[in-house]
Amino acid sequence: MLRIEHLTKVFPGGVVAVDDLSLTVADGEFLVIIGLSGSGKSTLLRCINRLVEPTSGKIFLDELEITALTPSQLRRSRKQIGMIFQQFNLVRRSSVMTNVLTGALGTVDAWRSVLGRFPAAAYDRAFANLERVGIPEKVDQRADTLSGGQQQRVAIARALMQEPRLMLADEPVASLDPATSHSVMKYLEEINRHDGITVLCNLHFLSLARRYATRVIALKAGRIVFDGTPTEIDHVRFQQIYGEEAVEVEIA
Amino acid sequence: MAQAEAPPSAVTRRATYRRAGPTGFLASWRTILFLLVALAAYAYGWRITQIDFPTLLFNLPKAERIVVGLLQPDVIAQDTESAFGEVPLRIGDGPAMPTTAPLAGGTLTVTPGAIRPGEPLTIVITGARPNSDLRLSLVDASGDARPIRTGEKTDDSGSFPLTFSMPQSVAPGSYSVRAELSWGLGRWRPTETFVVSLAKMIETIFLALMGTTFALFVSIPLSFLGARNLMQGSRVGWTVYYLTRTLFNVLRSIETLILAVIMAVVVGLGPFAGVMAIVIHSIGAMGKLYSEAIESIDPGPIEAVTATGASRFQVVLFAVVPQIVPQFLSFTMYRWDINVRLSTVIGLVGGGGIGFLLIQYINLLQWNQAGAALWMIGVTVILMDYASAVIRQRLI
Repeated sequence: MLRIEHLTKVFPGGVVAVDDLSLTVADGEFLVIIGLSGSGKSTLLRCINRLVEPTSGKIFLDELEITALTPSQLRRSRKQIGMIFQQFNLVRRSSVMTNVLTGALGTVDAWRSVLGRFPAAAYDRAFANLERVGIPEKVDQRADTLSGGQQQRVAIARALMQEPRLMLADEPVASLDPATSHSVMKYLEEINRHDGITVLCNLHFLSLARRYATRVIALKAGRIVFDGTPTEIDHVRFQQIYGEEAVEVEIA
Repeated sequence: MAQAEAPPSAVTRRATYRRAGPTGFLASWRTILFLLVALAAYAYGWRITQIDFPTLLFNLPKAERIVVGLLQPDVIAQDTESAFGEVPLRIGDGPAMPTTAPLAGGTLTVTPGAIRPGEPLTIVITGARPNSDLRLSLVDASGDARPIRTGEKTDDSGSFPLTFSMPQSVAPGSYSVRAELSWGLGRWRPTETFVVSLAKMIETIFLALMGTTFALFVSIPLSFLGARNLMQGSRVGWTVYYLTRTLFNVLRSIETLILAVIMAVVVGLGPFAGVMAIVIHSIGAMGKLYSEAIESIDPGPIEAVTATGASRFQVVLFAVVPQIVPQFLSFTMYRWDINVRLSTVIGLVGGGGIGFLLIQYINLLQWNQAGAALWMIGVTVILMDYASAVIRQRLI
């Protein structure tokens, strides 16, 4: 269970990205976070694994207070939290295998990683995860030779190497075409249903939220303005979230 | 009144935008002031740098020796063999009988055996080696030779006839006429100058290689400390960042030639002084380039690898290093290329390498040798430039 209490993030310069936000996410939920650009979605996700340091507030993963951890404790706890990104964030010049193995760095000594000597079990898991996302044949290719959808699947495989309990997905399909978007979302749905990994996913398209989420929250100016099931978002709610002039765009 | 809210009149608008367009600034008084100041600066500059184009034009022929040296570099020469024959000749009264001597399988004949100054003398060579270079000279009793003809050649049958009148200036006495024949053996071989220049050129390339490599070992670790994106976040980080960048700037701003002079004082004349000069300058130059390469990497992978729970060191190793390797290799090649060019002049101030040789040739006015050294430098620099361009293109 993920519990966020009174989380606030003020960036240098005074921009309040997240404003006294409290949220509880139960294990196994597929939580989709919607909201306009700049509404604080990305900052919220990055506070959870402290890629962004919160200004105030507490975050608990079960009884572990993430916001109180020392740097080395934080590294250990990050292993439980996988993350994928809008721009995939693969190391473009490295092979797919190296990128996937990167997900296991938290369990490998520094000197072993210098020599590239990952445990044999890590290689086996890397292959298994690549098979899971359907691209085992790409293992030796350089990451930048892959299409966008394939790169995002490599990123999912990399996150799965951590054997996470929680998966943070920051606009995972915003750089992809509609068909590829669904394929990537289906892999997220699969790890949610099959592995019981809790998913927190930022999305732009409400249609994708309706299709994949078990619960939707909407952010506006760093605050939660909607919390409910996908079916509850009607036209009125939509305009509250996105503004009077917004028109919903469907993704196929 | 509705007029209070009227838009600015057309006249006001025209006044505001009067100076639009790329050359509109010319109408400004600031521009005119700037142009006047610039004009004054250039006028002063023209005077203190003693610009004198007429002298350049009229004295251009002085460059002839250098041009000749470049056109005829002392690079290759043929092995030669020579033979000579010598017959006595009396200037003044004496027996008029022709005198003969054997010469390279043929005969050298001088007619008559004694002449007075102003009288014609006939020198005939027959049956000697054909198509050979011939040099005729008049040798006096003390052994001093004055040339009669140089640059002549025997014909296809090995003959050469010559009749000329003995100059009045030749004092009476006993002389001899000497004919020297020389011919190439057809084997061209590099000259001494070429061999020495090549050895010095190789020394130059390795001087640059050693300098670049030592600088690499120092500047790579330092470049991480001079990268803003890796050092930001803490006060200590910022301090280290600024110190590193300042160090790079200081080292980079000292010219390699000045460093070579200083190093020659410290470690003595020779290539090691040149290596150290290159090391010091290159640490600054490469460190800055490397730091900027690190600053321009994609931050995404750093974020992603950090999120996996990797340590800071692992993040650098897995997310930063793969992104910078090609640029680092490319910059290093480029720097080696620059350093080879620098090394050719470092020798001028005693830093070893081919420049040391070149300045000696120039000081001894050995233009053909200097030409050979200059050609060696030119060809090497062009080849290095080309090679580094090809390699860099493949890396990026």
